[in-house]
Amino acid sequence: MASWELQAVVVEHRQRAPNQYELILHAPPIAQTAQPGQYVLVRPMETLAPLWRRPYSILRANPDKGVISIFYSVQSQFTELLSLKPLGSQMSVLGPLGHGFQREQGVQRHILVAGGFGAPPLSFFASRLVSALSPDEQILILAGARRRDLLVGLDEFRALGAEVRIATEDGSQGYAGRVTDLLSEALCEPLPSAVYACGPNRMLQMVCEICLVGRVPCQVSVETPMPCGVGACLGCAVKVRAPNGAIWYKRACTDGPVFRAEEVDWE
Amino acid sequence: MSRPDLSVNLGQLRLPNPIMVASGTFGYGLEYERLVDLNQLGALVVRSLTLRPQVGNAPLRLAETPAGMLNAIGLQNEGVEAFILETLPRLRAYSVPLIVSIAGESPEEYAQVAERLQRTSGLAGLELNLACPSPSHRAFDTAPQLTAEVVRAVRQTTDLPLFAKLSANGGDLVPIAQSAVEAGADGLTLIHSVAGLAVNPHTRRFRLASRVGHLTGPAIKPIALCAVWQVRQALPEVPLIGVGGITSLDDVLEFLLVGATAVQVGTGNYLCATLSTDLVGALTDYLTQNEIGTVRELVGAVRDVM
Ligand SMILES: Cc1cc2nc3c(=O)[nH]c(=O)nc-3n(C[C@H](O)[C@H](O)[C@H](O)COP(=O)(O)O)c2cc1C
Ligand code: FES
Repeated sequence: MASWELQAVVVEHRQRAPNQYELILHAPPIAQTAQPGQYVLVRPMETLAPLWRRPYSILRANPDKGVISIFYSVQSQFTELLSLKPLGSQMSVLGPLGHGFQREQGVQRHILVAGGFGAPPLSFFASRLVSALSPDEQILILAGARRRDLLVGLDEFRALGAEVRIATEDGSQGYAGRVTDLLSEALCEPLPSAVYACGPNRMLQMVCEICLVGRVPCQVSVETPMPCGVGACLGCAVKVRAPNGAIWYKRACTDGPVFRAEEVDWE
Repeated sequence: MSRPDLSVNLGQLRLPNPIMVASGTFGYGLEYERLVDLNQLGALVVRSLTLRPQVGNAPLRLAETPAGMLNAIGLQNEGVEAFILETLPRLRAYSVPLIVSIAGESPEEYAQVAERLQRTSGLAGLELNLACPSPSHRAFDTAPQLTAEVVRAVRQTTDLPLFAKLSANGGDLVPIAQSAVEAGADGLTLIHSVAGLAVNPHTRRFRLASRVGHLTGPAIKPIALCAVWQVRQALPEVPLIGVGGITSLDDVLEFLLVGATAVQVGTGNYLCATLSTDLVGALTDYLTQNEIGTVRELVGAVRDVM
């Protein structure tokens, strides 16, 4: 799998909601090869503090226009520097990186579970899934967050024609409670389903447990620090378990960030 | 003006240029082969190998800190045998000088790994990662005696160029450096890292699963420069490899000026994958523009304030 380290040009900071932005970058080789669930490492600054590049899941890729976009919200020094990048300026981008979501075969319903800012890679996945869907297949989006203003990308999911069910922990929109409750409920409906999830690790752990018990195929995209992105530093370790019980560590950056539920050992 | 001469000698080991990549930060090198022209490097130091494969530490293994980072990888590696059988054949496709880093829990273990590597071909040298806990729990590089035991044991098994890599956690570095050289090291790599720790005040948890980790990156550069300078004063004939916080040409020049013959790029690889080879180009341009015939002229050429 090829990746490129290049100077991408900032095309647009498109506001999607209060303090939610889509950053559009001109990066043709990345746009042409990016797959849903893959990510890029970006470095909008030359500073030594903050130091690291940060991983961002690809929100969409338009091979014809040569652009990709990532989602951000300003909540740290790094994201502030990102938000201040002028249109037309360049920034270092390395990608596309990692293994993304794979469409499960032989199911009738693809359930995408998005926890808060975990929505972007699922949005990209849903858009590619829609165009490959057979008439007897459907997509169900379960989107959850602590509060309604932390929900991300609902309009895009709806625009794809997918059914969207919402949960907020404070009850400010949709079901009052956890998105994983919606998942348990959905899995009671008699449709062979597959689950794809991205969000906080706590949520992913519950999603994995629910799917393992229900024997539902499940893929989750985990989040860890990723300084190198190419499998060299071994800093992004994810504990995994083989069928024989053996424990070792895989690299989120190259073996993941998407893993199968039965692989990950959450302890 | 003709092309400047970038080659340097570390004892009997000749490198095409002084820019190397630091052990553990660049994997086995192959992880970067599609992004970086490995043959442009002065040398490639692979991650530290142990006698048996190591699974490494539990996550979290990393934390970013101001101008630096903490790591506690726990020496995850495939072990020397798998390296020789599976990885080394692929690395032999490149002409870059290969240096293998060795880690261990006892002098005997270091020596066994070295002995195994001595019997293969295609290596330019060995580096001893002495920032590993000894049986007494102190790191080997925190006391002259512990350092000497490892270097001596390894020296008996190999005639490959041997570099002892030291941290700066053991107080005065000079006696430790001296004992490494007396025990048979051909050169010294300074420095490995600085012991460090970080806490998340909101969750009140350590940021690293191992609690304490290795601090690297620009934050440690002045400490590394000071180590190189002090050891250079005490041991002016010993080849030194400077490492710690290099992210720019100026950083490279600083290390050369205080007495390093070569340098290694570690954390800097994470700011830009091609940083090390970019620095080879930048150094070439610098020498050309300043009409300096050989990079060796810069080594130890620092001047006083007035
Ligand atoms: C993720 C990571 C892994 C490392 N692994 C090793 C290792 O296996 N052996 C070793 O001798 N040094 C290791 N180091 C230390 C580096 O080789 C280098 O000495 C240190 O990072 C300081 O240089 P820098 O500031 O340029 O990063 C590691 C450093 C990092 C950041
Ligand atoms: S981020 Fe470096 S190995 Fe995964």
